[in-house]
Amino acid sequence: MTTSSKETLLNAAVLHWMHDLAAQGIITTDNELNVVEWNHWMEEHTGKGACDVIGTNLLDLFPELSARRLNRNYKWALEGQVRVLSQALHGYLIAMPVVSAEHGYAQMQQAVRISPLSHGGEIIGTLTIIEDVTERVAREAELQAQVEARSQLLSSEKLARNEAERANRLKDEFLATISHELRNPLNAILGWAHMLRLGKLTPSNVERAVETIYRNAKSQAQLVSDLLDVSRIISGKLRLDVRQVDLISIVNAAIDSIRPAAEAKSIRLQMMLDPSAGPISGDADRLQQIVWNLLTNAVKFTPKGGKIQVKVQRVDSHAEIVVSDSGVGISKEFLPYVFDRFRQADASTTRTQGGLGLGLSIVHQLVDLHGGSVSVHSEGEGKGATFTISLPFVGVVSSQKDTEVASEVRNDEIASLAGLPSLKGLKVLAVDDEADTRELIREVLRECGAEVILSRSAAEALEALEQHKPDILISDLGMPDEDGYSLITKIRALPSDRGGHIPAAALTAYARTEDRLRVLRSGFQFHLPKPVDSAELVTVVASLAGRAYKS
Amino acid sequence: MKLTERQSDALSELINIAFARTGAALSELTGHRVVLNPPEVAVYRTEELRPALAKFVPGDVASIHQVFAGPVAGDALLLLNYDGAVQLTDLLTDGHNPSAFLDESAREVLTEVGNILLNASLGMFGNLLNVHVTFSVPRLHLETLDELLASITTGKTDMHYALVIYTAFQIRDSSVKGFLVIVLSVDSLDRLIHEVDAWEAQQSK
Repeated sequence: MTTSSKETLLNAAVLHWMHDLAAQGIITTDNELNVVEWNHWMEEHTGKGACDVIGTNLLDLFPELSARRLNRNYKWALEGQVRVLSQALHGYLIAMPVVSAEHGYAQMQQAVRISPLSHGGEIIGTLTIIEDVTERVAREAELQAQVEARSQLLSSEKLARNEAERANRLKDEFLATISHELRNPLNAILGWAHMLRLGKLTPSNVERAVETIYRNAKSQAQLVSDLLDVSRIISGKLRLDVRQVDLISIVNAAIDSIRPAAEAKSIRLQMMLDPSAGPISGDADRLQQIVWNLLTNAVKFTPKGGKIQVKVQRVDSHAEIVVSDSGVGISKEFLPYVFDRFRQADASTTRTQGGLGLGLSIVHQLVDLHGGSVSVHSEGEGKGATFTISLPFVGVVSSQKDTEVASEVRNDEIASLAGLPSLKGLKVLAVDDEADTRELIREVLRECGAEVILSRSAAEALEALEQHKPDILISDLGMPDEDGYSLITKIRALPSDRGGHIPAAALTAYARTEDRLRVLRSGFQFHLPKPVDSAELVTVVASLAGRAYKS
Repeated sequence: MKLTERQSDALSELINIAFARTGAALSELTGHRVVLNPPEVAVYRTEELRPALAKFVPGDVASIHQVFAGPVAGDALLLLNYDGAVQLTDLLTDGHNPSAFLDESAREVLTEVGNILLNASLGMFGNLLNVHVTFSVPRLHLETLDELLASITTGKTDMHYALVIYTAFQIRDSSVKGFLVIVLSVDSLDRLIHEVDAWEAQQSK
């Protein structure tokens, strides 16, 4: 044997071993695509033995190659081109089962090279090398998913940060709004008060000054009470005084209170109140606040000559209050945020409309506390808005008397001293260290016919008690030297002929439940919150008259 | 050596045929319409390649490299900048999660795309010259432009010229710039230009 033929034989043997040991599929064909070689890997993965395929045309063996137009690659290879078939664009060349099914691929994923085989410048066949890349592709997908998850985490963190910044900005805007809103009425109050002090106003202007001061102070008090409500709601301290109430009279009272504002803008109020909708269980004051807030809003955002419709109806097991207006409407973008705290549609509206953007948030929270729901609908800007409140009929026991009692809804706005009980012949002792409050109490009670004695301190009050023998005591709690608690304790220690059983009401800015309890335990019969509401003061004094203290 | 305007136009036209084929092949493969912008052709001496290419491909370069041999021999490369390579694979494979790096699968796709383009272009030259060229297996490299240029010019004293063909892949409203660079010996380039002139003369008859 010559050296060269020995070498050729050796090469052939080595090649044979390499092909059989290869971790890839190797197919060799002649220039007519008849299979010449089919390695062990191919046998193992296709289940076709070399002896069964050698001599057969590759395209006959796998008709799928032509169906998937992959046969072209062999045509090009026979023209001398090397072809690369990537897994991402082709998946696989020859269908083979996956070694492990855990990656979710039905077929083995393959990377393929098809090359021409040439000899002496002539192409004599093709070589196909198939690599199983299933494992690798699955790993890459996993890695890609991890990268994706990480970038998603990053973007969600960014989102949270943006949200926090937004909340902070809203708070800043809110503080700016609140300062503005509180200062506005204050300017009017200060301005007119200053002119009153100068004493140069004509009687009609004096009246106007007082009216303006009253109106602005009232609106400021409303702002403060809104703020307090929100803070109570946030801290979960708002408690409902739930009783059986008549929804219709509550809605009527709220309508009455906004009627002047609506009339001033020539807004038509249309009411459709179905009497079968009441009574329900709820807190009369809060329910009225809900309706009042919605109506105030409707009036605020409805242009002159517009229309507001209020509907109360029974829908299954719910009572529905629907307030619709023909006002400026709400844009689609803002609609989801209508009930958010401190949110207003935009700064310019804030400026033209004023307000803190708390009203609807309070409505939402109060309705929630009642176990109901509130929704809003608007066709868009300029197309009006409709608010629907749904309140459940729960635990309603029909008792005509209860309903009547609870439906005596307090209505500060429309209360006028003229409609209040007469206090004629009553002698009231008022104790407060603040001159303004003393004066106010005197004016209000005098107006209703009472005689009023004023004291600046507990000591003065004790003297006045002996001297004037008043019928009723109204005392502030927080006073220097000696407070209201001490005063009442001393009075209650006196015999009845020296005023020991005098009916008494406490006046305080501390409105917490525990304060109220302490007030009642110490010997007062009533608790009046500050700032003093004229109507409430008169009503309390009237009801105290003749109700001697019983320990 | 400078191409005359006519030569340059004729070469562009010829390459455009190859590019149209490549676009059609890629469209069929991916299911998206892929178009390669009409090529712009220029000839540079190999030492001028660096400044000419550095302008367009700063930073790392992805190249698909095939050596061809026969009566006309040389190096053929598809050059993309790294970000362009990532973008191109994402566009071609419907990358649901646009990636920031080239994994093995992405490199394989690039290799296949480069292979299709190089085969079409060189095949077209082979037909024109009526010569049979053989190709090496395509390889993908990620390296700096300097490393790339060093690898294709060192030790090849007769490689003096490079045909630089500028184009852009248009896929799904996106565009990815790329260069086809064919480095040739003086002889091979002379022969090519001679055939281009002949083809052009025949076309204008």
